[in-house]
Amino acid sequence: MMAPAFPVIALGDDALTVLCGPGDIRHTLAHHLASDQSWIEVVPGKQDVTVAFDPHAEGMGLAAARLKRLLELAALSPALDAKTHSLEAVFGGEDGPDLAALSDRLAIPAAQIMDEVLQSPLTVDMLGFTPGFAYLTGLSSMLSGERLDTPRARVPAGSIGLITGQVGLYALEGPGGWPIIGRLQVPLFDRTATNPFRLAPGDRVFLRRSGRP
Amino acid sequence: MSLRVIDPGIQCTVQAAPRLGYRHAGVPYGGAADPLSMALANRLCGNPADAPCLEIAYGPASFAFDSPVQVALTGAPASVRVMGATKDMHALLEIGAGDVLEIGAASTGSRIYLAVAGEIAAESFLGSQSTYVPARFGGHQGRALAKGDELAITSVRRVPFTATPAELSLPLSHSFALRVVPGPDFPEGAFDVNSSVYHVSRRLSRMGAEIEGPFPPRAGAGLKPSAAVFPGALQVTPQGRGYLLLPDGQTTGGYPHLLQVIRADRHLLGQLRPGDSLRFLLRSQAEAEAALRAKQALIAAWVTDFRL
Repeated sequence: MMAPAFPVIALGDDALTVLCGPGDIRHTLAHHLASDQSWIEVVPGKQDVTVAFDPHAEGMGLAAARLKRLLELAALSPALDAKTHSLEAVFGGEDGPDLAALSDRLAIPAAQIMDEVLQSPLTVDMLGFTPGFAYLTGLSSMLSGERLDTPRARVPAGSIGLITGQVGLYALEGPGGWPIIGRLQVPLFDRTATNPFRLAPGDRVFLRRSGRP
Repeated sequence: MSLRVIDPGIQCTVQAAPRLGYRHAGVPYGGAADPLSMALANRLCGNPADAPCLEIAYGPASFAFDSPVQVALTGAPASVRVMGATKDMHALLEIGAGDVLEIGAASTGSRIYLAVAGEIAAESFLGSQSTYVPARFGGHQGRALAKGDELAITSVRRVPFTATPAELSLPLSHSFALRVVPGPDFPEGAFDVNSSVYHVSRRLSRMGAEIEGPFPPRAGAGLKPSAAVFPGALQVTPQGRGYLLLPDGQTTGGYPHLLQVIRADRHLLGQLRPGDSLRFLLRSQAEAEAALRAKQALIAAWVTDFRL
């Protein structure tokens, strides 16, 4: 099946953005473009995929023509290497300091919020912001929330943030503006691994409750 | 042999090549904020253009060496003294055993590069030895250098004296003109780019520079779905302030992206200094390509292994 001809626009003088719209198509295209190994970067956004090229090797015109040819060859089937992860987590208390306030504001018991999160089939929509920070979609919109008015200077690695419709997973310790409802019990970042990041765009994620008392 | 940090100044980090190929995982390029100046320092020391160097913000800073070695300093103009004797930047310097190298405060620009004729020890992570402080990647223990740190220098060798050709060691001033192409959110017909003067605010780091000045009304209104951004992106916030991304800046952004500094001029971002005035010069794609070719040719006559 041929991909429809998505618009391609210049991003500066050494990158191009494919306006393919949201959803899995971005991950399919990103996988396809990355496997070509001819782009310096292939970066999915929320509604697009951007590639960076070497302007010393090819101009914008040649790079755009090459990108369009590659897009014509992209199959519309789901990316083959999308993994499914089941990640143990704990909620509330010191690990999820904002769960109680979220429960109060939504008038939904904390246990029910946890159940909603645990039952949601989540998808890694994109990574960005800081190394390994994962934006996950697929959360019930009944769990609504905004970013904190004042971001925290330091959020522990593995923290689980929640804003409307999305879960944010902090791979590394660092500053953070999302309300934190829990913490993963498995690392998302392994400094010693060939690919240190556990999650990739397009991956499926299920959170499950840790047996930890 | 080793180099000992006596005074690192405001921030001194080991920088080398950018960390390419991981922006989809949220990992920024990093690397020298002014990679051309770093390449010029390495050239004087006979090193590959992206060999690890010390990137020194503003100065003053000082270092001691326990053995004889040749070094070179480039970037923001500052006074240089070795055991009290005044020395030149942009020229190979002889350092004796136990000598102290003192770098004064930069008068213009913001980053000074120190290269040695040898290899500065630096940890490689994800294909780069550059320090990315927020995630503690690369360099010296992933952090900025502190007083008392000792960095091993190996493969020390002697190289013939050279100085940077005058046309490549242009003095920096307090005003910058950066050539740009329109970004994806450029307000066509509503932004007279070339006629405005902007200023660099005090919010300036290796991640980015806040820019004050007249942006089109409501240019920064509303977030858009996050999309890839790269160093040189000029985004405008809802408060009407510009934010220019530098090498450690985030990989995706949701603020309107009005302009993109062209590849040929991105090395200048690393020398912006609070209070500097800034103009943007709008160019076409063809002009951006020609500018890159022209500047690259000028540099290639002196540094053969550096790409802007």
